[in-house]
Amino acid sequence: MVDPIFVGLAVLTVGSAIVALDTKELIYGAIGLAISMLGIAGFFLLLDAPFVAMFQIAVYVGAVAVLIIFAVMLVRTQALFTVREDKGRKAAGIILMLFIMGGLGATLLISGLNTPGSFTAPPVDIMAIGQEMLTYYSPTLIVMGLVLAGAVIAALALARREDVEQKDERAS
Amino acid sequence: MASYIESFRFGEFIGSVLWLVFWILIIFSLVGLPLLFIVLFYVPLPPLGDEPLTPYLFLTMIVDPTRTIPIIKYMIHTDLFRVAAFPGFTYAALFAAVTIFVERKFLAKMQLRYGPLYVGKIEGWLQLAADGLKLISKEIIVPAAADKPIFWAAPIAFVSVAAAAAALIPVAPGWVVADIDVGIIAVFAIFGFFPLIALLFSWASNSKYPFIGGLRALHQIIAFEIPFIISALSVVILAGTLNLTGIVESQIASYWFVFFLPISAFVFYLSSLAELERIPFDLPEAESEIVAGWITETSGMIYGLIQLGTYLKLYALAALFVVLFLGGWSGPIIFPQEIIPGYTGEKIYNPVTLSAIFWFTIKTFGVIMLMLLPRGISPRIRIDILLHTGWYKLIVLSFINMFVALALIYGGILGPEGLLVR
Repeated sequence: MVDPIFVGLAVLTVGSAIVALDTKELIYGAIGLAISMLGIAGFFLLLDAPFVAMFQIAVYVGAVAVLIIFAVMLVRTQALFTVREDKGRKAAGIILMLFIMGGLGATLLISGLNTPGSFTAPPVDIMAIGQEMLTYYSPTLIVMGLVLAGAVIAALALARREDVEQKDERAS
Repeated sequence: MASYIESFRFGEFIGSVLWLVFWILIIFSLVGLPLLFIVLFYVPLPPLGDEPLTPYLFLTMIVDPTRTIPIIKYMIHTDLFRVAAFPGFTYAALFAAVTIFVERKFLAKMQLRYGPLYVGKIEGWLQLAADGLKLISKEIIVPAAADKPIFWAAPIAFVSVAAAAAALIPVAPGWVVADIDVGIIAVFAIFGFFPLIALLFSWASNSKYPFIGGLRALHQIIAFEIPFIISALSVVILAGTLNLTGIVESQIASYWFVFFLPISAFVFYLSSLAELERIPFDLPEAESEIVAGWITETSGMIYGLIQLGTYLKLYALAALFVVLFLGGWSGPIIFPQEIIPGYTGEKIYNPVTLSAIFWFTIKTFGVIMLMLLPRGISPRIRIDILLHTGWYKLIVLSFINMFVALALIYGGILGPEGLLVR
């Protein structure tokens, strides 16, 4: 039996992903990407993982898509990209995609995940994950925190502009 | 065929009204009644509540209105009622309408003006309806160089996102449209759409001032989103749950969280002012600098939809403040146990729920007034001061109460089996 919600979400996700790749207008491509990410959040909701779904929306739609759209708006697209229509490239892309999808599908079918009854495990409890993370896996949490802090400091160091600051100091 | 009566006679007026009534009665008895009976007898009616709705029951209901109580009881517990009427859209939109009127009168009184005065005779209380009619009847002008699909879609998306945020708010025990386990994160995920919509709409207008306004909206909302989330996280630490109903219940079990986390409440209040683009943070719509900001090119009902969305958002944020810090619907039961003494029939009157709704409405309205207040007394601040406030000060401030919350939990004062938990 096919779930209509699942089919709708799949059509939405894949369709907007195709729009994101194929459209001439970059801004519509960015919007298509955002809708595709929303569709993936819908899949997470279907899979009983509302926590992941909400973070998918907050991070990917709320932050990443906004960043991409912001960048696209400030870029003069004609100067950057020249559209090259080439039938051979298109056909090669489609064949490569079919090959990868077929390979992934075959792997999933062989792996035994599709046998009924293999998903009897209860839905994951977020509280339990949090407790495990603060007790047994606490070194991992600390390492993750350090990596993120390092990334933030590196971003600050990269974004810092010596010339502007010196000019400001002289002015003040 | 424009014609008007030159000599008006009251008798003729009455006669024409009677003539109309006569024809309505004739048509109803010749067409309406047979249709009604055909529907009642031949179309199988849906079962309502315990008993199936038969034509005979329907006819007895017309004679004896108390028999409709089970039907009403069934109707107000359907999902459609929840989404469309009570904790959902109509309640929030009524809040928005009352807020618009009160805002205009309240600010006018603060600045020694009259405010709306003429429409509806008494203090201009019909001004909002007049404005709504005006907006509906106005032409929607889409700029020639605008990006039409985005220009049309953005206002609708704005209203629907604001309504989605309002749908997550629990109004009374069990009265919430979407009661999900990760409620507060869902609220933040939904509020993340607003800068996206503002930016897209400003870009689609293809005009200078809207685009500047849209960029300002993006910068401002993203800068204030982080203190907004962190100040709510200290509430989550105290309550031990992400569910909004659970947060309210843990406040009923102890005390309102505003007493433990006043700094968080203050940061949340400031950030919600910035999210709402209200004075003193109305830089995206600064009318003395950039015409009307990102809504410059709106006209007619597009403007009306964006205003409706803005006020729905105001309701959602004020209600979220009440849920997080002011104990939601907690309060004494002020309604009597039964309205008609000695009535032992089917009951739809519940004093607990009614007083919960009463307290929630009162508190939310108070918070909305608090959010309207700065508009009367405060000037607009500069964009660099705003960003500095958001990124440097409010984030640090919101962390203070997170440590307070952790100390309260680890000191055994709140949390499971805490000292102050009743």
